[in-house]
Amino acid sequence: MAMSVEEVEAAMIEKATKSPKAQLYIKDFYECDSERGPRDIKNIANGLVKKGQMMFWSSGSTTMYALPSRIKNEEGAEGVN
Amino acid sequence: MAKHDTPLLDELEKGPWPSFVTDMKRQAETHPECWDILGQLELSYKDKITHWKHGGIVGVFGYGGGIVGRYSDVPHRFPGVEHFHTVRIAQPSGLYYSTKNLRGLMDLWDKYGSGMTNMHGSTGDMIFLGTRTENLEPLFWDLTHNLEQDLGGSGSNLRTPSCCLGESRCEWACYDTQDVCHHLTMHYQDEIHRPAFPYKFKFKFSGCPNDCVASIARSDFALIGTWKDDIRINQAAVKEYIAGNYPSNAGAHAGRDWGKFDIKKEVIDLCPTGCMWMEGGELKIDNAECTRCMHCINVMPRALKPGKEKGATICIGAKAPILDGAQFATMVIPFIEVSKENEYENVIDVIEQVWDWWMEVGKNRERVGETMQRIGLPNFLRVMEIEATPQHVREPRSNPYVFWREEEVEGGWERDVVAFRKKHAA
Ligand code: SF4
Ligand code: SF4
Repeated sequence: MAMSVEEVEAAMIEKATKSPKAQLYIKDFYECDSERGPRDIKNIANGLVKKGQMMFWSSGSTTMYALPSRIKNEEGAEGVN
Repeated sequence: MAKHDTPLLDELEKGPWPSFVTDMKRQAETHPECWDILGQLELSYKDKITHWKHGGIVGVFGYGGGIVGRYSDVPHRFPGVEHFHTVRIAQPSGLYYSTKNLRGLMDLWDKYGSGMTNMHGSTGDMIFLGTRTENLEPLFWDLTHNLEQDLGGSGSNLRTPSCCLGESRCEWACYDTQDVCHHLTMHYQDEIHRPAFPYKFKFKFSGCPNDCVASIARSDFALIGTWKDDIRINQAAVKEYIAGNYPSNAGAHAGRDWGKFDIKKEVIDLCPTGCMWMEGGELKIDNAECTRCMHCINVMPRALKPGKEKGATICIGAKAPILDGAQFATMVIPFIEVSKENEYENVIDVIEQVWDWWMEVGKNRERVGETMQRIGLPNFLRVMEIEATPQHVREPRSNPYVFWREEEVEGGWERDVVAFRKKHAA
């Protein structure tokens, strides 16, 4: 049966909690519901950001997602824009 | 924040040209944090390494782009640049600002940031250089509420679309670049402000092949104005050019004496496809061979004009050197109509066809041009449901094998790979 938005959200949070890396690419979430297209997954991930359950982490050139509890504020990294 | 000794940077103030070091010193009189930029830059020159760290969770609420976090890795020495975030401000289409708007923007930046700007960044945005995290939300509030302007894109978002000034001032525009740019900016607000893609994606719109926004070199999706029919020739005006009564290039190179205008040397012999000639005192063009390079039109604007059946060419996949080398965009659709009437629906269809595919198969941090390169142009054309034409061929084939797909062979074939592998182990 197709997964509900809530179930996909829960799977995303679980993935972001268990993943060895704090920051995840949007593509890393695709597998949370392989029946949904990339746009749907992106919208759900952005919905989690709106609710404050996930945060954007940006290097300037790439944007990643992370749980607020897993990343330190104001942490820079080498990169390009 | 005190002044630092900057003997290396001071060298850059010598010579006849303007110096950013002088500009920063002047700015430091009112924004002392600028002394620390100079100090840190001097240290970088000595250490031969950057002392900036990029990125982080800085941003404004709900936006996944528009602000690039920047921190000093030596904040104890240069506290003024401990935070020095970059803010990207979406530029108006064609870069038309009123002085009122510019003053408003400068006042805003004097209030919340270093006052230093970069007009404009390579994506097109106006770049505000240097502010602290706590200033971001108030700045965003004032920007959007008082100036009714928005942040631009950064990260894996659709970057701020940019265009040439097109029909507003340029007779060569083959479509309304500003309108397309504005329309798509509004249409794709979500993609601009929230990350959607494996990596960045840029649109650029040029009204003709002169490509004043360098879309073919700097955008993932370039819409370049062109025409289908013949170049319009005014033979009387051609004669005026030949007689030296009209200045070539509208006088753009008149600062030097280049001698008498020579149509053969300056136009006909420089036509890249050799499709022009003089016959009975008239200029002739074999339009089927013309690549719409604009050279002859640029030289003799009063005599030659683009045709009347106008539209655009779509080129996809340019990028700067990040993983592989830099590359120009590849011509994918030679001609597409660009029409306000259907709200650019056919252009949007092409964009979304590229996105749907790239979002699925693009690797993390892979530009669409790299994904295209990885799968090869024939496969990309198949994804786009476009039939290959001779213009898609860049060079003669180097692979001696020809691979057919089942639908390309009359009668097709049936293949049971499992049964085959039982007899012939891989
Ligand atoms: S790209 Fe062409 S249409 Fe646009 S401003 Fe330049 S010359 Fe004019
Ligand atoms: S536009 Fe370029 S290719 Fe076409 S006729 Fe003029 S010079 Fe030749």
